[in-house]
Amino acid sequence: MVKKMIEIIVDEESCVGCGLCVKDCPMKVFELKDGLSVPMRPQDCMGCLSCHEICPAQALEHRGIYPAKRHYVDIRVCEMLNRVI
Amino acid sequence: MTASYVDELHEKFSTDISYKSEDVPLNCVPPAKEIEATLHGVMKLNGLVIRSLEEIAGRGANAVTFRAGKKFGHEVAKYFQKRDDIEDALRELSDLLRGQYSFEVWKPADSDSFVIEEGGERFIYLVFHDCIVRQTLRRNGQEQAGPLCQTLCGYVVGAIEEITGKRAKLEIKHTGPNACLKKLILK
Repeated sequence: MVKKMIEIIVDEESCVGCGLCVKDCPMKVFELKDGLSVPMRPQDCMGCLSCHEICPAQALEHRGIYPAKRHYVDIRVCEMLNRVI
Repeated sequence: MTASYVDELHEKFSTDISYKSEDVPLNCVPPAKEIEATLHGVMKLNGLVIRSLEEIAGRGANAVTFRAGKKFGHEVAKYFQKRDDIEDALRELSDLLRGQYSFEVWKPADSDSFVIEEGGERFIYLVFHDCIVRQTLRRNGQEQAGPLCQTLCGYVVGAIEEITGKRAKLEIKHTGPNACLKKLILK
């Protein structure tokens, strides 16, 4: 089975062109073009989400990733947050 | 200690349940939600042990944890079938790590094969998705790629060596919040 490619969407209105995702990605998926981050090689994305975490503008969205199981999430805190949100 | 407190304890731990030797538990009791506090406690303790080890042993902490992981890998994998083929060995490894870690073999899009030969080295990239080590470190706000990650590296190396009968090495190439890239060097 051919692995489905991860789709990366950059919110152009939010991206501040800081280049942190370009620097952090081990697979050099991103490049800066005209002051904006552009996913040039999404086929090389392994879904680590380092770029997602480091992006100060939260401008990145990944589609088709495998979300790792999160055992550390505090369910009680999440339940309280859900009531607020 | 008050008598009422002792009575309270006695009452708490007294049941009418009869336990027979043939009773094999088929479910984890209590349910996961009820042992959440236990899980957090274990994670916290594990994180603190690693942090203290790092403070005292410095860079030597990595060697200690790698060695511990490697021993564990050899110990667990000795009951598994021996394999010559690396794909079969990785399949065995997957079974061995089930429930704690999950990984997939990975290659850059421009590479033809998963077994890459470069600079005199033969290696395979592994992307670790589910990982109890990452969960523990993030739970405690600790950095990745430190001594606790070396435990996993040692574990994988020990298991692969035991399954294939050949030396192996595992390098951490990148750590992320959702997945980590590791390079399994075959010797």
